[in-house]
Amino acid sequence: MHAYANPTRFLAIAKPLTPWLLGVGLLLLLAGSWAGLAVVPGDYKQGETARILYVHVPSAWLGMGGWTSLAIAGLIQLVWRHPLSGIAARAIAVPGMLFTALCLATGSIWGRPTWGTWWEWDGRMTSMLVLLFLYAGFIALTNGDEGQKQGGSLSRGAAIYALVGAINIPIINRSVVWWNSLHQGPSITLRGSSIDGALLWPLGLTVSGFSLLFGAIVLMRMRRIIADNRVAARLRRLADDEGN
Amino acid sequence: MTGVISGGGQWAFVAAAYGLTAVLTGIVLWSSWRAMVKAEKRSDALRANNRRGETPRGDPK
Repeated sequence: MHAYANPTRFLAIAKPLTPWLLGVGLLLLLAGSWAGLAVVPGDYKQGETARILYVHVPSAWLGMGGWTSLAIAGLIQLVWRHPLSGIAARAIAVPGMLFTALCLATGSIWGRPTWGTWWEWDGRMTSMLVLLFLYAGFIALTNGDEGQKQGGSLSRGAAIYALVGAINIPIINRSVVWWNSLHQGPSITLRGSSIDGALLWPLGLTVSGFSLLFGAIVLMRMRRIIADNRVAARLRRLADDEGN
Repeated sequence: MTGVISGGGQWAFVAAAYGLTAVLTGIVLWSSWRAMVKAEKRSDALRANNRRGETPRGDPK
């Protein structure tokens, strides 16, 4: 792991990987969306609104997966002081917040024709809203802080905030089991899926497509932070040289 | 159930969900790409200037 702590080594992998993630991600996403909208039939109970699941479910998984990665990056920063972990955590925050917001918005759009309401303060939706606020808090906490000025690492407080916030992830996951909810129970588990195979396969495409796009966005944002750090370091060196 | 919408009326909601997803994801993708390209250009230009021994003028940001 420490072998990739060097930004130059990381960039040697990230630079060629970024366009691949972007291209393949977009292709998979387009294929999955086309299949979800035009190829598979509507659900016998929910009708056409079931097609929203092909964008709603990947958004939910990436919102939760984003915070899990952010917490792992925070832990690595706290324990090993890995220089790239803080940069990774900062880079994950915005796409993580985007997908959490998309999960809430598409869920709300799905809820109106299906449940007859845009919003319900039940366990799943409320805990997902808490995740959105956690992302916003993390971005506010790390924007322009000392760590950002010193190479992009996270402050101790931000790393602990990321770890404490991770408590919300299992709460989101189990909320439909623990509390009565309008939201349906878990449809896809490690033991299998209650969704029929005829409706399930486009979900594999959109989940893969969104995940690759998420990866591409994180790599782009990490590359931007590293480039900014290099500019700041060079300017500091020049200022020092001129001072001497 | 009160307020439940069925049939063809559901397509407007499907279109709204996909449209919103496309627009927001597109904005974040585009802004991340632009910021990365700009930052890397700035960094490369400064490195090239350093090699030539030139002092950068003004704020590179």
